[in-house]
Amino acid sequence: MSPRRVPLTWRIATLARLQPETPSATTLVLDVPDWPGHLAGQHVDVRLTAEDGYQAERSYSIASSPQDSQLALTVERIEDGEVSPYLTSELRPGDPLELRGPIGGYFTWQIGDGGPLLLLGGGSGLVPLMAMLRHRVDSTSSVDATLLVSARSLDDVLYREELTTLAENGVMVRYTLTREQPPGWTGWAGRVNAEMLSELGAEPNRHARVYVCGPTGFVEHVADLLVQLGHDPHAIKTERFGPTGG
Amino acid sequence: MEADELHTDGNAIAGLLQEIFVAEFTTLERTCQSCGDRNPAGSHRSYQGAGIVMRCPNCGDVALRLAALPDRLVFELLGTWSRPVEPRPSGAALR
Repeated sequence: MSPRRVPLTWRIATLARLQPETPSATTLVLDVPDWPGHLAGQHVDVRLTAEDGYQAERSYSIASSPQDSQLALTVERIEDGEVSPYLTSELRPGDPLELRGPIGGYFTWQIGDGGPLLLLGGGSGLVPLMAMLRHRVDSTSSVDATLLVSARSLDDVLYREELTTLAENGVMVRYTLTREQPPGWTGWAGRVNAEMLSELGAEPNRHARVYVCGPTGFVEHVADLLVQLGHDPHAIKTERFGPTGG
Repeated sequence: MEADELHTDGNAIAGLLQEIFVAEFTTLERTCQSCGDRNPAGSHRSYQGAGIVMRCPNCGDVALRLAALPDRLVFELLGTWSRPVEPRPSGAALR
């Protein structure tokens, strides 16, 4: 599929089901008529229209694998946001949702791109990386893959059970909890640092395909560390989630 | 939040920009008019206020200014932008 040739049109999707992920994040599983297919790493724009015509638009990364017949978006609830509280608390199965996509081609990965994969996700920045790992599973690929998950606490880690399964099936998954660690925690604590990256095998001589996604501060910090390790800045693919008002 | 965190990147505004370019936006390559560095649009920093300003990821100079008005999009592009197209038949002239 060539995403370049697909016209970008607004479509009416239908919510099939809601999947709670963490206390603040929910996955929306959607049926989208005539969905043209997507690449792992792409996102959609979601548009809400009020009765008076006021519209609010937000971008959400696609969590589902390209091989999945339904489209999954994982939405982090921003308490004072305009869009995310509606999506996570008001929307019910059967309700329509207007969206357009898939969007993006830079922050994407396909099996044919090869590996090894080095994925670094902060908070909900894990979502597009999860689409890549699900694509890897659905393609029964054995591409070497390493994932670093940075989250505030263990409860804030998205897709925990699935990540455990991935770790049992050849993906190296490591965690750092930045604010709160449970008793007996043996993973990392605090902000990502150079030692963590070294332990992950993030040296540039492995020629990994590097994807960094998360809040802007996380992405810039991790990308800077990778450049200090000797990575070419042009070889690090980044996607930033900004303060968009949710 | 630090001032430097008040930006995202070219991926975040790709849907809007696709309306202008009528093509996938984030993989467009831009060579900066200031530093000469070449980067995909998706890796550029994006600042959103009354309008959108995109900046070079290497030197920070302005790459694009955009205002979305109710009835039109107004924009300025700086630097040299390129996107791949299907190979043209040899000898075919651009008219």
